[in-house]
Amino acid sequence: MSISHRQFRAKRVYEVTPRGGQRELRLSDRIVELGDQEFDWYQKVRSWLPSIRGLADLSKDLAMDEAKVPKFLEALEKSGLLYRVESPDKPMTGLEFHGAFSGILSSWLSEAFEHPFWERMMSGRGSARLFTGWLIELYHYTKNANRHMPLSCAQSHEKPIKQLRAKHYAEEWNHYHYFMKSLKALGFTEPQIADSVPLPMTLALSNFMRQAARHDVLAYSVCSAVLEGTTTDRGTYSPYYQKSADLYGVPQDAVTPIFAHLDLDVKYQHSDLFRDILETVPVMPPERASLVLDYGHQLVEHIWLWTDNIEKYYQVDSNLVPRRPFDVVLD
Amino acid sequence: MSALPSVSTVAERPLLKRTVAVNRQPGRVVLQHLRDEIELEGAAAQLFSKMEAQLDGKTPVDAIAAGLKEKPARLRALLGQLEKAGVVSLLSANDDAKLTTGMEFYAIHRERCLYWLEDVYRHPLWEKIVTGKASRAQVLGFAFEKYHYIEAAFEHMGIAASNASPEMMPHLARHFIEEYTHGDIYRRGLRSLFPDDIILHSQPLPSTRALVNYLNECAARSSFAYYAGNELLQMTENTGDSDAGKSVDDFYGAMRKHYPYTDKLIDSFIAHTKADQALGHADAFVLMCESVPPLTRREVNDALNVAKNMAEHLVLFMDGIDTFYDRFATVPRLPCDLKSE
Ligand SMILES: [Fe+2]
Ligand SMILES: [Fe+2]
Ligand SMILES: [Fe+2]
Repeated sequence: MSISHRQFRAKRVYEVTPRGGQRELRLSDRIVELGDQEFDWYQKVRSWLPSIRGLADLSKDLAMDEAKVPKFLEALEKSGLLYRVESPDKPMTGLEFHGAFSGILSSWLSEAFEHPFWERMMSGRGSARLFTGWLIELYHYTKNANRHMPLSCAQSHEKPIKQLRAKHYAEEWNHYHYFMKSLKALGFTEPQIADSVPLPMTLALSNFMRQAARHDVLAYSVCSAVLEGTTTDRGTYSPYYQKSADLYGVPQDAVTPIFAHLDLDVKYQHSDLFRDILETVPVMPPERASLVLDYGHQLVEHIWLWTDNIEKYYQVDSNLVPRRPFDVVLD
Repeated sequence: MSALPSVSTVAERPLLKRTVAVNRQPGRVVLQHLRDEIELEGAAAQLFSKMEAQLDGKTPVDAIAAGLKEKPARLRALLGQLEKAGVVSLLSANDDAKLTTGMEFYAIHRERCLYWLEDVYRHPLWEKIVTGKASRAQVLGFAFEKYHYIEAAFEHMGIAASNASPEMMPHLARHFIEEYTHGDIYRRGLRSLFPDDIILHSQPLPSTRALVNYLNECAARSSFAYYAGNELLQMTENTGDSDAGKSVDDFYGAMRKHYPYTDKLIDSFIAHTKADQALGHADAFVLMCESVPPLTRREVNDALNVAKNMAEHLVLFMDGIDTFYDRFATVPRLPCDLKSE
């Protein structure tokens, strides 16, 4: 039997940790241990899979007899590092999809928040300036909910989903006031913040949500679920805010509104919204399920790059805070 | 900015532009603005220093002169020069009502964009590729993201043409029709390394998505602002002027040397540049500016803010390739499916 690239794809590896001459590869549902040699082979397989190179090329890369290569690929499949593309997925119910999503959400969130910014802030190598920058961008991000939440209602076609999305919007639309309150406690005036310009990645988040809303309301809803996943559990954000406040002399008045907002999310149970929506979906063909999942993961990548964008801008002391719009007469 | 008669100079309130940096040295003052430096020496430097604190846009010239016990004419002479040099604005009650012609806008836009683009050219990724320090993922990622960006002509140019204002429609239609095949030129290069269906299904970085989505959103909202932003992107393309041409050639030469496997990719980059040059895109924006009705301050600011944001999105585009492919080295990026996660 011949083995081709088309047959396999690599599973997402969320973390690689060296441990005593071995590497631990963390997948969403298991940890796979590889020795140095196997890890090197595995990496070569990964870059070969999506290429135009043949089996003979791979066998040369691996310095492995061509006849043995298929066995090695199958061993990688068995370990969970590769999977077969052609084995067809069956349609699933919305709730089954929710089960699959819940199984990977924590891996996704770990990926979204593995940016070094967080460790930097928590270890005292951050600054009040970075904390402020994060808050300003969070203000814009929250205010920009008004650019995508109502659009998701307009673009959904099933009454129960329209209803659920509209209720979420009604509960969420004015939450930017919480961040305005925090920023005022940090000494900014209301017009300074309201008229400021978000960073490109902050704007990108809401533009991506608009894209999702136009594409498929479930694609939109999975993005919303990933974002709610970051705020519903006090465990994710609370330590960051409190510790930063302590480390960088942020006044308590600036932190209180943030906690008030987090508590509100918990009260509204926004983390259950995605489940409520999926409950109304009797069947999801595999293509739709994959599309929805893919939107969710793209959002995870957006969060990572958003963090990067915030750190890069606000760590430069000469950059304006807040960012003001250009004016042809004044500038 | 000329369409309305100017009010009497008495009411003018001078403002040292917010973006001017003032450097004081013994006996002279250097004003830095955009890519210019204006040097004041002797009496001019002294007079400037005396009035600097009041160049706040709130105080009329006569009041400043009275406070400093200076002749208003002397102040006006210096302020007039500084205004001409672009570092001072003389604010008046009808600033908001002044109209800017399309061709005046063209000149302001060009000057600003050249300045805003400096951050793009300074991006560390260029240097990493030229010196061979960029990783394989960063280099291949660069090719893929360029492809995704060009392929997105279908999106933003399509949205722009379908939402065009009457005077912009012929320009935006032509632009779409000329550009929509250009992604295929890049795809041909990528096919030297990857199968076609993988290229077609591959996914851009969030930062590339950000650039494309920003173009899409602007295109749906304002034809002119969209094109002012798009023009900034066009300005980064090699239009055939010999200096820019040489530095692009040098870049590709170094890339071929350090990354021999990119040979066919670079051929495709060059083929695309030639295709663009043959279309004479460089003139498109002048033609548009000639055809738009005079613009209000609000419209000028809108279009220039889009151009400035576009420059920031372009820096982000570079940053994404540099940072994201460094941390997540998978290339090409394939979409998730039910088993991949
Ligand atoms: Fe909220
Ligand atoms: Fe919420
Ligand atoms: Fe082109």
